[in-house]
Amino acid sequence: MALSARREWPLVAFTLLSQTAVGALWTVAAAAALSESARGWHSRYLTFPALGSIVATLGVAAAISVFHLGKPGRAALALKNIGRSWLSREVLSELVLMASAGLLGSLVLLRIYSPSLMRLTLAVAVAASLLLLLSMSRLYMLATVPAWRSAHTPLSFLGSALLLGPLAIASFPRQILDAGRETAAFQRGAAVASLAGIVLIVLTALLFGPGIGFFRAKKAALREFPVSKTYPILAFRLFFLLAAIVLLVLFDRTESIRFLRLALACALSGEIGGRCLFYVVYSRIGV
Amino acid sequence: MPTGAGVGRYGFFFDSSVCSGCKACQGACKDKNNLPGGVLWRRVYEIAGGTWKKDGGVWVPDIFSYYLSMACHHCEKPICGDGCPTKCISKSGGGIVLIDTQSCIGCRYCEWSCPYGAIQFDEAAHVATKCDFCSDSLARGEPPACVTACPMRALDFGELGDLQKKYGGAGRIFPLPEASITEPAVVIKPHRDAARANKDTAEVGNWEEI
Repeated sequence: MALSARREWPLVAFTLLSQTAVGALWTVAAAAALSESARGWHSRYLTFPALGSIVATLGVAAAISVFHLGKPGRAALALKNIGRSWLSREVLSELVLMASAGLLGSLVLLRIYSPSLMRLTLAVAVAASLLLLLSMSRLYMLATVPAWRSAHTPLSFLGSALLLGPLAIASFPRQILDAGRETAAFQRGAAVASLAGIVLIVLTALLFGPGIGFFRAKKAALREFPVSKTYPILAFRLFFLLAAIVLLVLFDRTESIRFLRLALACALSGEIGGRCLFYVVYSRIGV
Repeated sequence: MPTGAGVGRYGFFFDSSVCSGCKACQGACKDKNNLPGGVLWRRVYEIAGGTWKKDGGVWVPDIFSYYLSMACHHCEKPICGDGCPTKCISKSGGGIVLIDTQSCIGCRYCEWSCPYGAIQFDEAAHVATKCDFCSDSLARGEPPACVTACPMRALDFGELGDLQKKYGGAGRIFPLPEASITEPAVVIKPHRDAARANKDTAEVGNWEEI
């Protein structure tokens, strides 16, 4: 059995959008926690547009994921096996994340600035985001799929979140945040976080990448995807990640937001390539 | 012939040493269950390998091949069921693993995970399907269609413990995975050349038929 990136496009979109939303939540949560000028919980970063964008991204991701199902009308049944299925847990954590981020956004919109309530809601959202990444990773780490059962899976997902989330928020600060004079510093911090994401992605590929990683899984499946066929996709991904790095450096020197947005476009392109590669290297032990 | 009453765990026996690869089992299963195109609840794999060897001053072929007829192995630890988000995969009496297609959402996660290729996605019905051990036949005291159809008597079924006592044999041969992963209810008598086969020396020669 082989997987086709074209057929699995809903999962490519779902995983990337969800990881972007997770990274964006961490960005605004960290900025709110670290900001010296945060007026209690009248935060410049936990704004309704920011939280609303995160919820909207998760909603779009969930809607797209339904296209993967043979029976989309039965999608709600996917919550029935939370006790044993990481797939059920992924669905639940996505819903909890949406609900808690949405609640936090509603509190901000309604100007209900209760520190304890906001702290609790944000904590639930961050916990749900961690559980979402964990569930997403574990469901792919099947005992019968060696290419996915390695550190490459969780680390590449984490890398995507670190790369795309901060960039997405930092590329539209006036529309999403209320950071005022802190905007430039916020954007620099987001750019550093995204660079860290790129470093993680590249290191993960070099150390654990299927077919090429130094610590890659030993050949165990009968029909493994030929390593040579992964080279064009790897080159595509590397090109766009390098382009993102160059653009982030240019942003650092010029503070022009155009470079941040181009970096986001390049990063997203590279990650789409990387995620497609993730699915096509699927191979199963046995037959 | 076991009828279901008092059977602890049903299993299949497959004798690779006599299987001719005729696919009567595959055809009988498809016929009885009215399976659509592209769905095979029982599949016959052709395993082939070998190379040339020098015999004196002459190069001679040193090849081997054998067949592997497999359906669902109704595992003790079904990896398909563990991951299913809707709990539509369950074990019935006799250890038979069944899919409730009315609850299946067609995510294909079970298909990704099963190392025996047992899960077959029905593109027309948009749900996962698989061998159900001809549960309806068992209830009537009749054997599964594949067992009845085999002209070489390479297939048998029954209480797994009884099969193990009667036939001995292993739970796996190449290219099947370690039995400890899912604990399949199958006893296999290996072909004489099965010991020569591994992922470096043999391959499945009929993927296009599966």
